[in-house]
Amino acid sequence: MTETDSSAPRAWFGDLRDALIYPLTSNGRLLITGVATGLTYVLLVLSAFPQFSVQVLARNPADLAYAVPALTREVYLGSGWLGICLVAAYALLTGVAVTNAVALVRRARRAGASTLVGIVPGMLAAGCASCGAGVLGALGFAGAMAALPFEGNLLRIGGIALLVIFLGRAGDPRTCSIDPT
Amino acid sequence: MGPEDTITRRRALLAGGGTVAFGGAVAFFASRSGSDAQAYVPDTVRPSEETTGFGVDLAGRPIAGESDAPVDIYYWTDYLCPFCKKFETETLPTIGREYVDAGVARLLTMSYPNIGHYSTPAAVWSRCVWDHVAGTEPAAFWRWHGAAFAAQSESGQEWANDETFTSVTERTEGVSVADVDACRRNRGDTIRESIRTDVATAQSARIQGTPGFVLYNRESEAAGRIVGAQPSDNFADALDRVRDA
Repeated sequence: MTETDSSAPRAWFGDLRDALIYPLTSNGRLLITGVATGLTYVLLVLSAFPQFSVQVLARNPADLAYAVPALTREVYLGSGWLGICLVAAYALLTGVAVTNAVALVRRARRAGASTLVGIVPGMLAAGCASCGAGVLGALGFAGAMAALPFEGNLLRIGGIALLVIFLGRAGDPRTCSIDPT
Repeated sequence: MGPEDTITRRRALLAGGGTVAFGGAVAFFASRSGSDAQAYVPDTVRPSEETTGFGVDLAGRPIAGESDAPVDIYYWTDYLCPFCKKFETETLPTIGREYVDAGVARLLTMSYPNIGHYSTPAAVWSRCVWDHVAGTEPAAFWRWHGAAFAAQSESGQEWANDETFTSVTERTEGVSVADVDACRRNRGDTIRESIRTDVATAQSARIQGTPGFVLYNRESEAAGRIVGAQPSDNFADALDRVRDA
């Protein structure tokens, strides 16, 4: 039996659903997802103004409790509710992707290498897209965010879409997907 | 697939609760507004035409504090920058009272338009206001400056336009909209060139965002860089180190 073209999107959505619920299959995986989500969020908001973050944390690492709320507010004021929601959504998706990637590596499946190659570029692209004016400023592009449409939110949406596409492509890391012939 | 690999109601509830808590914390910190403290207006404002030891020509640039203060604070700002507003309302009042008004530091305001399309026009407004009041009532500039930051909106940059800045200028005692408008029309190009010089100075000092500061000991020529709306304790520590260097 061969699959028709119309079943491909349905299969992709099924794989995406499997990838998204995989962290719920054990306490350890849920913990990894939570920790990865938190760390990703902290890294993303700190990257909104890297020079500030480095200075504050170098003086006193406990000032992380000052820097993260301050930069969360900064991201919200700079790009609105949509911008801060996209950053939070990216952190959650990264939490899931990291958990699934850990499973892939542990099981050392034959398909693992190619699936990881599929996930990593999406994570990097979405991560860069989700940062902010700070990283662009650090690279010497002060004012670049102002030139981007919707205060950079379009770029963030594009990055998250890439991550979702690659998560859907990887599916549940416990199963192999074999293309029908 | 063992029993460990099944999705239990408990884990589903835990994940849902964790997601809601995460979203709630982000929303809480995003919507928590800062201090409503009054804008800082320095006790002493003395215009200067000197070129500082750091190499900045002070002509046309807003200044606060005593001309013989041992430390210069070069402050790069953007009226569209929310983090600058945080500095203005939460850190500057303390630093202003304890260092600028106390004669320890002189605050030199520089432009670094980098946030939005109206960042440069806003900087031109600022320079023209200073140009207009520096010789007669320089404190009026700081009232205008505080009012301009207070006009920042909670979301987006649509608030930043000619209408808003005209309104801020009209409301500021001691500033004439007609004179400021004439300056914007007649001296706009010269001021924009001066703003480009400010940006170049910031970049050569490796300031990569606003608010950004260089603290400079005028006698020993020791300098330090501080970026962002840091707590006033951090700022005071950095000022003390540069003053004692």
